[in-house]
This record gives sequence, structure tokens and C-alpha cells, in this order.
Amino acid sequence: MADNLPSEFDVIVIGTGLPESIIAAACSRSGQRVLHVDSRSYYGGNWASFSFSGLLSWLKEYQENSDIVNESPAWQEQILENEEAIALSRKDKTIQHVEVFCYASQDLHEDVEEAGALQKNHAAVTSANSTEAADSACLPTEDESLSTASCERPAEQTPSSDAESALEVNDAEATGEKENHCDDKTCVPSTSEEETGENVPTVEDTAEQPKKNRITYAQIIKEGRRFNIDLVSKLLYSRGLLIDLLIKSNVSRYAEFKNITRILAFREGRVEQVPCSRADVFNSKQLTMVEKRMLMKFLTFCMEYEEHPDEYKAYEEITFSEYLKTQKLTPNLQYFVLHSIAMTSETASSTIDGLKATKNFLHCLGRYGNTPFLFPLYGQGELPQCFCRMCAVFGGIYCLRHSVQCLVVDKESRKCKAIIDQFGQRIISKHFLVEDSYFSENTCSHVQYRQISRAVLITDRSVLKTDSDQQISILTVPAEEPGTFAVRVIELCSSTMTCMKGTYLVHLTCTSSKTAREDLEPVVQKLFTPYTETEIENEEVEKPRLLWALYFNMRDSSDISRSSYNDLPSNVYVCSGPDCSLGSDNAVKQAETLFHQICPNEDFCPPPPNPEDIILDGDSVQPEASESSAIPEANSETPRESANLGNPEEPSE
Amino acid sequence: MAKTYDYLFKLLLIGDSGVGKTCLLFRFSEDAFNTTFISTIGIDFKIRTIELDGKKIKLQIWDTAGQERFRTITTAYYRGAMGIMLVYDITNEKSFDNIKNWIRNIEEHASSDVERMILGNKCDMNDKRQVSKERGEKLAIDYGIKFLETSAKSSTNVEEAFFTLARDIMTKLNRKMNDSNSSGAGGPVKITESRSKKTSFFRCSLL
Repeated sequence: MADNLPSEFDVIVIGTGLPESIIAAACSRSGQRVLHVDSRSYYGGNWASFSFSGLLSWLKEYQENSDIVNESPAWQEQILENEEAIALSRKDKTIQHVEVFCYASQDLHEDVEEAGALQKNHAAVTSANSTEAADSACLPTEDESLSTASCERPAEQTPSSDAESALEVNDAEATGEKENHCDDKTCVPSTSEEETGENVPTVEDTAEQPKKNRITYAQIIKEGRRFNIDLVSKLLYSRGLLIDLLIKSNVSRYAEFKNITRILAFREGRVEQVPCSRADVFNSKQLTMVEKRMLMKFLTFCMEYEEHPDEYKAYEEITFSEYLKTQKLTPNLQYFVLHSIAMTSETASSTIDGLKATKNFLHCLGRYGNTPFLFPLYGQGELPQCFCRMCAVFGGIYCLRHSVQCLVVDKESRKCKAIIDQFGQRIISKHFLVEDSYFSENTCSHVQYRQISRAVLITDRSVLKTDSDQQISILTVPAEEPGTFAVRVIELCSSTMTCMKGTYLVHLTCTSSKTAREDLEPVVQKLFTPYTETEIENEEVEKPRLLWALYFNMRDSSDISRSSYNDLPSNVYVCSGPDCSLGSDNAVKQAETLFHQICPNEDFCPPPPNPEDIILDGDSVQPEASESSAIPEANSETPRESANLGNPEEPSE
Repeated sequence: MAKTYDYLFKLLLIGDSGVGKTCLLFRFSEDAFNTTFISTIGIDFKIRTIELDGKKIKLQIWDTAGQERFRTITTAYYRGAMGIMLVYDITNEKSFDNIKNWIRNIEEHASSDVERMILGNKCDMNDKRQVSKERGEKLAIDYGIKFLETSAKSSTNVEEAFFTLARDIMTKLNRKMNDSNSSGAGGPVKITESRSKKTSFFRCSLL
């Protein structure tokens, strides 16, 4: 980092989460000089996604977080007499109760075998008779050539040993006081099988009996790059604010998306698919003809419920679940509407909330596919980065691993005038946008936070098997007891570019009532079974097997009002971390509101000029291209046309 | 809207600040040279359509948006790239040394089968040269990738560089198609089409 930063900006943004990144892009687009910094080494803060090894180092970093030694030059002496400082925190306290469990075999001998195992015996994936060698054949993917697969091997020792040590630390901390504490090999929290701790049998197994294809920990490490594991698990409503913003600003050109393919429900111990589009309802085999008619009638009403107040006015005072009982719906249908379509709470949501949510769901259907949701390829963590790129394209300057020691406030005007960074450089600005985890305890002494409980699982098959193994599903498991919350389960397949082939990445999220593991483990146990050697021999284990699991709590600061912070100057704006909801509307709203405070009367993220307007064609100069040899001013028509080359599904705006 | 091209290749320019990435981009896409580009404000990528073996290839060449300066290039930049130009400045030893770091970066974030090429730019400034052509060639051989010395200013080898990279991507593409078409699916499939099929099945990007 030899380069020095300029010493003056219009806007300094601290933190690269989604709202901060949107604001940075919007300000830069409006001609403000933007400096965007993050003390972490990666983009996104708690909105980030990590490769598997990246996630392990994130966990490690989190644990070492407490012993950061402040070696930066002292800023105190730089504060003049007419100034005072608001020190920023150097510790991230937003993540708690981290617990990691590895169920997959951690026998590291296997990557020695991998070299010889690259033959294509991949009929074996489905047959039960594959050999150990085929197991570790690392499921060759079309874009991984033989040479890279083999020449990369030596280097892999490093991440795997890294990972090991990270895990050991975690296991020790996570399960230290529990009776199921086990050694560094495999940690199975809730089963008491004797073999859990040792993997020696693998060798005998190879010799004696051929086994079903399975994924080992070594493979997960080896294919770690294929994972993009989100810290927050969200989807995009296809007519939500974030989609609108991506389209409007043309930031959508930096990302690709996939449709969620299924809405699932969990009833009476079984996972089933919820019919939600018209076609689904009619094709459904689980609904009777009468039910189909009832459901269609009710959903059609919800689409335009506001026009028929007489049909629901009388029920405004009761909960949505009570209201559904008054409608002509079977218990089956009531369950689907309440939990899978409206995704509202049985006890806490009013009739209006429920109707609104149902309408929103239906409104989003069909824009891009059969469900109302999209997921960004390579994970949620791409989205803040896409906005950062937009900011940079318009001249914003980016620094990661760059912390800010304090904000400098002018005593007289009570305005913030500068920051002092980790190198002691004083950088002047007019506006300061700070993600709230950067504030120190002094600033936040009166703030009360909620928590989000999160689990990340790697599993070996889908919770609901179908012909295609490439399904993306969302499942809501309703709260069981009062005081707890519904758990949202999102299952991603490998074509979302978030996990390796042959595995699924499952995200669980709920509002915390206890620690993440206490909140979520009951649901995990209902849906999955821990991977163990013995069960492999039982031909058909019904539930998907858990290969690896992570639990943690994340702070939810989304409802903290600005006034709860102590002594913030008026030109210091606060962005919150991610909230618990499924969409990202909150982040977009926050960004737009703060942007308008910083740049009143400016358009929020208008479309940029289209780079393609400056085409100079190689052999035949196209008429429309030659007209514009200079960069045209923002043109609202053309940029959109070019946003998705080679995409047939262009829905008309 | 009828497609005016057969293939679309996404190419990236990568290298230290000030090595002339943007100048190469403008030389190639506009046949222009301007020493006063300080940064590339407002420009995401430039387009030029070339012809190779009778096929129209639209090259969409992306610039770093200045994010190379503090090594904060977003992962989104690398997604879907089919070719990458690694650029250093022959009058700047440091930029040459950093090529290794950039290669590591690519390995981490870009697709593993991306085509790469190393360019030693500013070869018109021989009097200030710090990196010999031989060292550039050797580095390229070590990584098994192609190498050219270029000058955006004097328009030396710029066309050649982009055409070479495009041709290599094309060759790889044809080979892949032959492999996957061994069951007799017929001639090569246009990348735009084959991509769209995939797209319509699962993916979608936003309009």
C-alpha cells in the first residue's frame, strides 16, 4: 500500500455492507468524491460470502479478534484544541456463539489417493457399488482439467491443515463444557455412536466392502473454492426494491441470478412441495379438485383484496391464521397459505399483514419464473461488491484492510470534519457514513440489539428429492412453542455456484430467542441426520446427511434509531447491519433515505451511460455507434437493452 | 433484435496502476491514444467486434475501474471472464514483479479455464526500459502462457495481442464443443446460443 490517499473527499463511507455500498455507488454516480473503506480484508462485512477456506479463516479471525494489539500511531495528539474525537471500535462484536461440527470423514489419507482416481467411473455416483477410489475422484467438473487437479495437490496441504487447526480451536471452545466433546477428528453432538471420534475404519472398509459414493472433509477442503457461503441468507423478491434498484442503476449487469425453483413445507414429519403458481396448483397431485378450486379462488381474491374490503374488514382485529379458518380452505391449504406463501407468524400476524404478504408473494410470481424469488449466483456477497464496482467506475476510491481510528468533530459547529486513519493520516470530508459495528461502546452504551440465529450446513442430498438434483428451495418451519420464531431454510444446489458438486448448502435463519444452536438444532435434527460411517450401509437413509455444520448468532441492528447513539454530529450517518427478513428491502430503503440526506434533490442511482454507445465496430461502423464517439449523457433507453446479452428471458419492463 | 455477432467474449485487463491498461483498451477499441487518461471514470467496458475465421466476435473488454490501486478488485469483476490480459510496464520493474501476484489473484477468483496472456506495455520507451524482453518471455513460459511486448502509444502489437487472445479462446471453445458433441450433435454451437439455453433453464439476469 505505497500509494497515499488524497486528503479530501465529499463523502467517506466506512463499511462495505449492502446499504453502505449502495450509498457509495449513488453518491459517486452523482458526482461526489467518495472514499470507501473497510477494516476487513474482504468486501461486504456481515453481508459477505466466503469460500470454504475463507469461512474457516473468518472463524479463526473472529476468535483472534479479541487480542488485536493497537499498533497504529496515536491519534490523540492530532486532535486540536477546538476539536474532539469520536473513537471508533477496532473489534467486531457482531458475531457470537460460534460452533462448528464436522461429520464428514476427516481422514486425510484420501487426498493421496485422489491422484490415481481421476478415471471417469462416474456412473458410480448413482450406483451403490463404487469403490473408495471413485469416492475421492473429486467429482471432476467440466471446467477443472486433469492437470490443474493434480498439480494443485501439494498446495492443498496448507489449507487443510489450517482448517484443521481452526476447527480444533472451535470444537474445543464450542463443546468444551458439554459431555459430547470429542477429539479433533469428528464431532457429532447428538449421537452417542462409539465410532464417531475415529475414522480408522475407512481403510478396512475400502478393502472389505464397496461403499456408496460419499463426500469427505478432504474433498470439501479441496473443492473449497466452489463454495460461496453467505453470512446472511436472503433472497430477492422479483419485484422487490433491490431488483428495481439493480435494474434502474444498471448494476444488474455485474451479476447473474437464478430462480428459486421450489417452495416447500414441512408437515407431519414430511417435506412437500407447495403449489403456488396457477400451473402448480393445477398440476398438483397432492391437492384434490375441490382444494384446487378453493386455493385458486382464495389466491385470486388476495391479488386484489384491497378492492373487496367487505370480505376482510370484519376480521381485521384477529390474526391471519384465525382469518384463514373462516375462509373456505382445508387445513392443508391454510397451512400452505400461512407458512409457505405469506410466511407470517401464526400468533403475531394480523389479517392485513397476511393479506399484504400473500399479495406481495403473488405479485412477484411469474416475473422471472415459477416462484417469486431470485438468488444471485456466487452468493449474496456479490451484491454489495457490484455496487462498489459501480462506485469505482465513477471514481470512488476503495481501501480494504484500512481502519479508521476516529472521527474528528469541530467543537464549535458540532460537525464532523475529518477522519484519522490507521496510518495517522487525516482525511477531510463533508459527510461520513458509518456502519454501526464500527462504533465503540462509548457511542452505543444505550443501544439494545436483537440477534439473528444462523446455521450453515453442508449436506449430501436435497431435503426433497426429485428428478433434477439442481433445485433451489425455500422452506419455512413454523415456530413450535410460544416465544420462539419460525425458521427459514434455504437450500442451494451446486449450480448456484455456492457449493461443490454432489453437495447442498443449507442456510437456516431465525430471530434469536437463545443461542443459534439452541434455536436451530431441533429443526436441523428434524430435517437431517448426522453423517456416520455405519449408516452408509443402510441402503436408503431417508433424510439427507449432514457433512458439516456451523452455528452462530449475528447482531441485528436494523431497528436501532439514530437517536439511541450518543452524541453523533449531524453529518455522521449510521447504516445498520443485515436484518432477519427474507428480502433486502430494508437495506435499499435505508440507503435511499440516507442518500437523500447527503445529496438532497439528486436522482438515486440513475442509469449510467451505456459503454456500448461508444462502439467503434471493427469492420463495419454501425450507424448508431458512430454517432456517439463521446460518452453520451445518461440515456435511459439504451443501457437497458444491453444489460443481458444472450439472455432470452428478457421480461418486458 | 437480431444479433450482430456470433460470439461474445468477456475479456479483462489486469495489472498495476499506470501500466497503460486503459490506453491499450482505447487504442484497441477506438484506435485512439491519449496520455491524459488519469482514471477511467464512467467506463465499465469497451466493445469491439472483430472477425475470426469468418465469425463475428464481439469483444467486451472490461477495465478495473481503478480498483487495482489498493488491490480491491471485486470478485464480480472476474466472474464469467473468458480471457485476461495481464499487463505490466517495461519501464517499471515493480509492475513486472507484481504480475505473479495478479496471476495468483486470477487463480483465486476467475474461472480455472480462463485464457491468459502477458503484455509488456510501453515498449516504445526503450530508453527507460527496466525489464528486458527475455525476462518477460521467461515469465510467460514459466506460467505456460503467451507473451507480447506492446505499445498503446505507437500502436505496436495491440491488435495482435487481442486477436491472439480471442483466437485462443475460440480454439478452446471449439475443442470443448467437439468434446461434448462427440455423440454427433453436429457443427459447433454458437456460444451465445448455448449460453442462452443454459440461461433459460436455470439462470436469469436482470433486464
